Amino acid sequence: MAVADEVAKRPSIRKTPRSDGSVELGYLRMMMLIRRFEERTYREYTKPGQKIGGFCHLYSGQEAIAVGIAARFDKKRDYLINGYRCHGHSLALGMSPRAAMAELFGKATGCSKGKGGSMHFFSAENRNMGGHGIVGGHIPLALGLAFSQTYRETGGVTYCLFGDGAINQGTFSETLNLASLYKAPCLFIVENNGVAMGTQVERSSAEKDLALRGSGFNMPHFHVDGNDLDQFMEGIADAIKRARTGGGPSFIVANTYRFRGHSMSDAMKYRTREEMEQAKLRDPISLYEVSLRDIGLLTDQQAEALEEEVSAEVEQAIQQADADPQPTMESRFEDALAETYPLEK
Amino acid sequence: MPEIQFRQALRAAMTEEMERDDSVFLMGEEVAQYNGAYKVSEGMLKRFGPRRVIDTPISEAGFSGLGVGAAMAGLRPIIEFMSWSFTLVCLDQLVNNAANIHYMSGGQIKCPIVFRGGNGIAHQLAATHSHRVESIYARIPGLVVVCPSTPYDAKGLLKTSIRSDDPVIFLESEIILSDRGEVPDEEFTLPIGKAHVERPGAEVTVISYGKSMARFTRPAVARLVEEDGIDVELIDLRTLRPLDTLTLIESIRKTNRCVIVSEDYGYCGMGDAIQARLHKEVFDDLDAPIEVVHSDEIPIPFNHHLEEATMPSVERVIQAVKEVTYR
Repeated sequence: MAVADEVAKRPSIRKTPRSDGSVELGYLRMMMLIRRFEERTYREYTKPGQKIGGFCHLYSGQEAIAVGIAARFDKKRDYLINGYRCHGHSLALGMSPRAAMAELFGKATGCSKGKGGSMHFFSAENRNMGGHGIVGGHIPLALGLAFSQTYRETGGVTYCLFGDGAINQGTFSETLNLASLYKAPCLFIVENNGVAMGTQVERSSAEKDLALRGSGFNMPHFHVDGNDLDQFMEGIADAIKRARTGGGPSFIVANTYRFRGHSMSDAMKYRTREEMEQAKLRDPISLYEVSLRDIGLLTDQQAEALEEEVSAEVEQAIQQADADPQPTMESRFEDALAETYPLEK
Repeated sequence: MPEIQFRQALRAAMTEEMERDDSVFLMGEEVAQYNGAYKVSEGMLKRFGPRRVIDTPISEAGFSGLGVGAAMAGLRPIIEFMSWSFTLVCLDQLVNNAANIHYMSGGQIKCPIVFRGGNGIAHQLAATHSHRVESIYARIPGLVVVCPSTPYDAKGLLKTSIRSDDPVIFLESEIILSDRGEVPDEEFTLPIGKAHVERPGAEVTVISYGKSMARFTRPAVARLVEEDGIDVELIDLRTLRPLDTLTLIESIRKTNRCVIVSEDYGYCGMGDAIQARLHKEVFDDLDAPIEVVHSDEIPIPFNHHLEEATMPSVERVIQAVKEVTYR
C-alpha cells in the first residue's frame, strides 16, 4: 500500500491508456531487465570463483532515467554518452544482455571485445558513445557529439549523463558554457542519487539546489523526478524539443536513489536503514507497476510473466557469456591505432 | 618552387584539406576573428566562415574534449592550442579520451583529430610556458606524435595528419614559425612514421627533430662537415610516435656512432627514450656511447642568458659529436 500512496501523491499525467499497453509494458519490461541484470551481476561479482573483475557500478534504483531517455531516443540521429554507471543505459538502447555480460566477463564477444569492462560499454550501432571511467571526463565529448549534429544539421540530440559527483569537475562548467555559446543540442542530465561514492551532496556542493549549478550559463536548468518514468519523460520533453529546433542545451537534475553501493566494495555505512526503506517506497519499477495497474494496463499475471521472462533472458545471457571464448592473446595488440604505419595518405 | 614561411605552410595544409573535405574544421583560442595568436590561421575565417573556423573561450579541457567528441562522430577537427604547455590542464582529454576511445571501444569508434600548436621553449616565457611535451605524449599508445622542422615537412605532414584516422599530436614551435623554405604549390603529402635521412654520411649518425633540428642540429652539422670534415649522417625524425627505429638502427650500424639532440629534458625525456630503444639493437656496433644533448634539468628560467644556457645549442651539439668521434 505504501508504494500506492507514493503514486497517489504524484501529479496525474495520464488518466486513460493511450495504447493497448504494449509500449508501456515494454518500458516496464526494460526496467525489470536492467534490475535483474544488475542484481545478477552483483551475484556473479561476489560469489566464489568471481568471474567479473575490476570496478563495477550498479544501476539498480535509477532505471527510469535510462528507460525514459531510450523511449525518446531517435536511433537515426541522437547520441548518448555516459559516465561509468553505464549498464542500464546500454541495455535500454538495445545492447543484448549477452554482449553486456560477456564484457563484464572480459570475453571476446563483449560489447567492447573485453577491452573496456564494466565502466566502458560501447555500441556504435546503437549510437551509444560509451561508458567513461573518469568522473566528468566525458562531458566535453558530449558537446563534441552535439557539435557534430549542428555542423551536419541532423536535428539530432545528444544525451549526456553523469552523476552528482561530476558537477564538481572543471569540465562541467567549461562544457556548459561552451555548449550554450555554440547552442549545442545537448541535454546535460545529472542522475542525482544524492551521494558521490560516500560524499553526500550536502558535503560536496556549496549550492544545495543542484539545478542552480546550471545557472549562469544562459540555459534552462531544472529538476525532474528521476524515479517516476512518466514524470521523467514529461519533464525532459520540452528540453528535447528545444534542442532539436536550434534552441540549445538544457541542464536537468534527475533526482533518484541508488539501491546498491557506489561500487562493489561499498558497504554503504553512510546510509541508515530508515533512509533506504523510505527510498524503496519510490522504487521506479514498483511506482510504474502500480501506475499501470491503476489504469488497467497491467495485471498481476502479466507482471509475474514479465519477471519470469527477463529472469530467463538474463540467465541465458550469463550462460552464453560464460561459454563465450576468451579474447586471443594477440588481440590485445589490435585496435590501439586505427591506421597502419608508416602511413601514406 | 616558391619560398614560404612555416606558418604559411601550416595554413596551406589546413586550407587545402578543408577545401577537400567538409568534415575538417579548425577550432581554438583566437583562431578566427583575431586571425591566430601566431597568425597561422590568418585569413581562414574570411575564407571558410564561422561554421568551420571557430573561436573558443579559454577552456582547454572543454574545447579539446569537444574536438574528441566531434571526431567520434566522424568529423575531422583541427584543434589549435596557443601553446602545448596549456595542455597540462586538459591532459585527460588527450591521454584518456582521444588515445583510448578506439581501443576501449573494441575498434568501434575512431578518433580522427589533429591537436596542434607551439611546443617547447619559445623566448623568455619562463617555466610555465616552456614545457616540451613530446615525451609526455609520445609514451602513450593510441596517439601519433609528429614534429616537423621545415615548412615543406610541416605542410606534407600536417596534410597526412588531418587524413589519418588516429589522433595526432602535431608539435610546432613559435620560434620557427617565420622560417622560410621551399614548398611546392602542387599537392603532396609526407608519410607519418618515416624518418628522413637529410644528409647521408659515414662517420656519425646525428638524430633530431622540430625546433632542435632547425635551430641547433642542422647548423651544427653544417659546421662539423665544413670546418671539421666530419662525414655526418643527419636524420630528421619527423614522427616521434611511432618511431622509425629501423632507419635509425640501419644508420648507426653503418656509422657506429650516434648523437641525439632534443630540447626536452634528459631524464625521462625524448632523447633518453630514443636512446633506450636503440641501445640493445646497436650495442655491438657502437664505437662510443650514444650521446644525448638535452636541456638542463631545471625549470626554464626567464632571464635571456640563463634561458639560452639551459637549452641545447650549436656548440653543445658540436661538442657531443666530437666526443663520440674522438676529435
